[in-house]
Amino acid sequence: MAIHRTCDGVLRRDFLKLGALGTGGLSLSSYLRWTHAAPVQPKGARAAIFINLPGGPSHMDTFDPKPDAPSEYRGDFKAIKTSVPGIQISEHLPKLARCMDKYVILRGITHSLAAHKLGQEYVNTGNRPIPSLEFPGYGAVVSRELGGPGELPHNVAIPKNNQGGTGYLGVKYAALATGKTPTPGLPFSVRGMTLDGSLTISDVERRQMLLEDLDQRFSLIQEKNQLVEGLDRFTEQAYKIITSPKAKEAFDTSRESSSFAAQFGETKFGQSCLLATRLVEHGVPFVTISYGGWDTHRDNWNALKNKQLPPLDEGLSALFAGLEQKGLLDSTSVLVTGEFGRTPKINTTRNGRDHYARAMFMLMAGGGITGGRVVGETDDTASGPRHDGYSPDDVAATYYSLLGINPKKEYHTSTGRPVMIVRDGNPIRELLS
Amino acid sequence: MWAKEMKQIFERRFAGLLVALLALLFFSSQTVVAATSDSTAVVSRIDERFDSSQLEKGSHVPEFRQHVVPLLGRLGCNGRACHGSFQGQGGFQLSLFGYDFEADHRNLLEGDDPRVRVDDLDASLFLQKPLEQVDHEGGQRLKKGTWQYAVLKRWIEGGAKGVAAGDATFVRLDVTPHEIVARERGQTWQLKAVAVWSDGMQEDVTPLCRFRTNNDQVAEIDEHGFVTAKGPGDSHVVAFYDNGVVPVPVIFPVSKKTGPEYPEFETSTRIDELVVKKLRKLGEVPSGLCSDGEFLRRASLDITGTLPTVSETEAFLSDGSPNKRDTKIEELLERPGYAAWWATKLCDWTGNNDRNQPNNGPEQRLRASRFWYEWIHGKVAENQSYDKIVTGIVLARSRLDGESYEAYCERMSSYLSKEDNASFADQPFLPYFWTRQNFRKPEEQALGFAYTFLGVRIQCAQCHKHPFDQWTKDDFDRFKNFFTRVQYAGKGRTDGGNTKAYRDMLVALDIDLSDKDLKGNRLYKQLGQLAMNGKTVPFGEVVVSPPRAPIKAEKLAGIMAEMNSEKIKPKKKEQLERFLMGRTATVLGGKEMRLDEIEDPREILLAWMLEESNPYFSQSLVNRVWASYFNVGIIEPPDDLSLANPPSNPDLLNYLAEGFRRSGFDMKWLHREICKSDTYQRSWEPNATNLNDERNFGRAVARRIPAEVIYDAVRTATAGDREAMELCSLVEKRAIADTTVGSYNNNYALEIFGQSTRESNCDCDRSMEPSLLQTVFLQNDKEMLDAIGRRGSWLDEVTRTIPSFRDPAAKKIYLERTESIDNELAELKKRLENATKDGNKAAIKAIQKSMKAREASKKALDDSSFFPGSVAEWISENQRLVSEIIESAYLRTVVRHPTETEMNRSVAYLRQSPTAKDGIRDILWALLNTKEFALNH
Repeated sequence: MAIHRTCDGVLRRDFLKLGALGTGGLSLSSYLRWTHAAPVQPKGARAAIFINLPGGPSHMDTFDPKPDAPSEYRGDFKAIKTSVPGIQISEHLPKLARCMDKYVILRGITHSLAAHKLGQEYVNTGNRPIPSLEFPGYGAVVSRELGGPGELPHNVAIPKNNQGGTGYLGVKYAALATGKTPTPGLPFSVRGMTLDGSLTISDVERRQMLLEDLDQRFSLIQEKNQLVEGLDRFTEQAYKIITSPKAKEAFDTSRESSSFAAQFGETKFGQSCLLATRLVEHGVPFVTISYGGWDTHRDNWNALKNKQLPPLDEGLSALFAGLEQKGLLDSTSVLVTGEFGRTPKINTTRNGRDHYARAMFMLMAGGGITGGRVVGETDDTASGPRHDGYSPDDVAATYYSLLGINPKKEYHTSTGRPVMIVRDGNPIRELLS
Repeated sequence: MWAKEMKQIFERRFAGLLVALLALLFFSSQTVVAATSDSTAVVSRIDERFDSSQLEKGSHVPEFRQHVVPLLGRLGCNGRACHGSFQGQGGFQLSLFGYDFEADHRNLLEGDDPRVRVDDLDASLFLQKPLEQVDHEGGQRLKKGTWQYAVLKRWIEGGAKGVAAGDATFVRLDVTPHEIVARERGQTWQLKAVAVWSDGMQEDVTPLCRFRTNNDQVAEIDEHGFVTAKGPGDSHVVAFYDNGVVPVPVIFPVSKKTGPEYPEFETSTRIDELVVKKLRKLGEVPSGLCSDGEFLRRASLDITGTLPTVSETEAFLSDGSPNKRDTKIEELLERPGYAAWWATKLCDWTGNNDRNQPNNGPEQRLRASRFWYEWIHGKVAENQSYDKIVTGIVLARSRLDGESYEAYCERMSSYLSKEDNASFADQPFLPYFWTRQNFRKPEEQALGFAYTFLGVRIQCAQCHKHPFDQWTKDDFDRFKNFFTRVQYAGKGRTDGGNTKAYRDMLVALDIDLSDKDLKGNRLYKQLGQLAMNGKTVPFGEVVVSPPRAPIKAEKLAGIMAEMNSEKIKPKKKEQLERFLMGRTATVLGGKEMRLDEIEDPREILLAWMLEESNPYFSQSLVNRVWASYFNVGIIEPPDDLSLANPPSNPDLLNYLAEGFRRSGFDMKWLHREICKSDTYQRSWEPNATNLNDERNFGRAVARRIPAEVIYDAVRTATAGDREAMELCSLVEKRAIADTTVGSYNNNYALEIFGQSTRESNCDCDRSMEPSLLQTVFLQNDKEMLDAIGRRGSWLDEVTRTIPSFRDPAAKKIYLERTESIDNELAELKKRLENATKDGNKAAIKAIQKSMKAREASKKALDDSSFFPGSVAEWISENQRLVSEIIESAYLRTVVRHPTETEMNRSVAYLRQSPTAKDGIRDILWALLNTKEFALNH
């Protein structure tokens, strides 16, 4: 198969794919056996929402304010009180301040990859990127581990996936990208998902059986070739999605009551949150929302105040509230993160902040964790964690644990190489307590 | 953008290095393997010369460039996360990857509180920090009593000298062994790296090199250059030192069939010979040749971006002549699809994207991108040589020799005019390559140029030494000087540099210059309209500024000497650089050239590219074309020609690059050479030895068909015979000739199938990955279903001649529907009578209309030739026709005859279908949804 290439001049896999093939590589048939068996549901979360903020949001101007820092660090924004005594966040996140009890702020997450693509790969996979192997994104792992109703995609990206690829797990776990976000009040669907009215289910079923019988040319290499295997999987999955009214219904946000939908607002991000809530309610185990525009090298405060933060504030607070209203918050683990923070020291020539990986924030909610807390801490200028800090790997390990997935579980790549889901991290005990 | 990329590269590659270096320190000074001493002329390893017993003063003083900087690299000091960061770390900065010797030396010795204290060695933070005698955020990196400590200490004791003007320069790095062939897991080798300097000095620098493996599944390499074989495969280990990057191939055969044990067989072409030479080392036996059907489908898709028609396939399959494959290749290369598809590929590589064209010319909104495509298409169609095509792009300026601005505008307007038949494709140059908005600054031009014509990524070197190639920041800066004089003048540039002619022309068109609403888009839209109607309107143009007043050679020499001096102040250096900008430039890996007497500096660049010794020009094209045929390049990714990313088969690449040059850069030579080889015509069916190898061309690799090609393939496969023929010959309307990349109303299907976005100087702008959405599209998208059932489709054609036979169950439906229509008609008749009685004319008219419609539906039902028998009965009476139809469905999609099983299954399906048409539709649908259709195999 064509290996995904990056533009950064790095050769990803200069090799033959040789070795103990098939010993551990998950074949489609074993996958299907697995999903058809009743999966053991983990305690706590059954679904996950991953909110990716590509570009790297400033931690100091959002969830890690330092009102007492010197002026060359502090920035224009004030900190405000939240519903939880002692916790303060930016004044431009008033709604999230009011629902502080729903989520946890992780401060002083730290790493050293201050480049967008690498940082994105890191926070999307929970593994520090290395040249010889591409790690799978959360969505690929979760859809593989948790499965889900056959008639729904197991991994959806709104509107598309940034760096959360499927890595060594192969394309069959790739996210279905909606390509767009819902327009408030209008029916929403993903193109091609609805069955033509003139066909009956039995017609389509019969036709699908024909396809299966005629599509045998590559059966010889079916289990040895990721491309062939992935296409098989897509064929089966597409069929289930198309024939089920459930998929259509799951995507159609206009079927929500107007009072429920109203709280999400009309922004693209808010509508994405609404869609994510609905998809999870219908059984989609993993949804990614991408909301970019955070690379504020220039004009940081203006961009945050007028453009970036209001939709985040409205959409995210509605997501927490909406999940709770539907009784889904405890079973849905939400993780919000960019790829890094931004320089605590203001870049005065551009009135902005630059890439900064030594300190960043993340948010977690649902999935059984207790909200209303801050975990971790940065120093007085938010330049680094006060103590050891946590790494993206630790957060990943926590995220997986909440979903009942053992982060130390070993997969085998198509070359038979054993790799743990999260290679370096340990669940953050403080967060799970 | 560059900053990001560069950081990425660093971080990706060196993440592990820090850890390794820490480990190294704790290993103390013991090296793993004793040094070899096979050459007396070579200065021995520094870790031997500087072990702890030789610490006394007076011993050899290490050099800054040769020893200190590489050692800092090994200790991790100049890494991206440490002092190599662009802000430095803890107030101390080193150049990333340590190639700015001047700046590094300055940063170490200058300032209020220099890191290196020659007068007080022990007070030097340079030693105290890494020893962690004082607080060091990077932790302990150095221990007393080690050779590393001794080297740094002796350097300070010796005066902490930097690099002086006359110092020897780096010539090359020799690494032995040149190739590693493994026999078993766990086998080990020690690399030895010898640096050669311009004064003849040679030194074993193994302990100062950085090492990396390109695949740790095949071989691991530790920080000492100690290689361990891990498993079967084919990769490289790479040694880095100063500007040297040396990959050493590691081959671990996959079977016992190597050397004399390798089966003997004939190779047909030079390509086959070279491929098999490599396979023999690997113990891989190539697969056999593919079938005729597979060959025809593969070659048609690859060469012409088009599926063969049914009649063509039938003729080819039944052709008994032994040379039919070669003949077919020649035929395909003459087809319009060849020119269309390869023009599209060239548009990918040159970056033809509508969104990047200036929005302020009359050519806005897809005209410029169409011109671009048509220009390239014209050249490919007449098989103009690649160097000529490139010349037309590289030397492009808008005006012809001696052409006035007015004449230029008149000529351009004629290309837009509806009346005129003049074609932009006929003019000698393609200025649109230079008018792109992301190709205006010299930096952008340097990057884009290197990407397009050289397949080289020099992004990293924009800011620091390229970590995996020879390019330095200095190389980049001098290379980009070729471009400083090329500009896009949106309002033209007449003598004296003004835009008067432009304004005059607007006035002549009665355009009110004071109308504030009429500017930007609106103005240009109007100009475009006027040009279409035959008026002459003003255009922007690509111009090359005249050379600056030449400076005397002596003065230049003086400036160069000053620039290269160690003492020059950064500010002064900047000044001189500005002065030299546009006066001199350096081709990558070449010499400084004077530009100030040359009218167009790009001429030098072009001449350099076309030189026989140029390693990139021919290779990059050859490799990209190869990658189009084999899924991966000989160098992969195909647009990353760099030292640390060596070709999987250097002899093969050299042969093709050399042959391509000798052919006069004849692209058809290259296509022929590739397509006629056995290597191209191998089966995708693997054997035990080549199953896992997708990089050495021992078998065909099934791969998804590119976006435009699969889009067209669906149209051809579903088309009726006449339309299919048309689609093959009239390619203008086909997706393979799409000129709308970057427009805002892009084709959905092309987008989800990964058509190149042509945005980022990367071949990966085109995606060949499959996705669930693609499958959903093929199975159920309305566009897809409409293609199958549309008027004029094959389905329409074959089913028109057969009645819509229905099975007995349908009879009931038929009777029910006829009855219900009859009832409705009776009802309407009553209403008509009443309305007539009332004299209500409007009602009468409406009712009559309704009745007419009912009668029509009844007639349609009757015309559908309700057949009292079943589809099954019809099949048994028309067996021959049925098998012909199924044959045709197979030929038009997967380009082969169905097997007996497949035929039986299809007939059985048809037999159970409500109507023959439904059944045939579904069979075609199923074939379009097989992997065999979606993959080129």
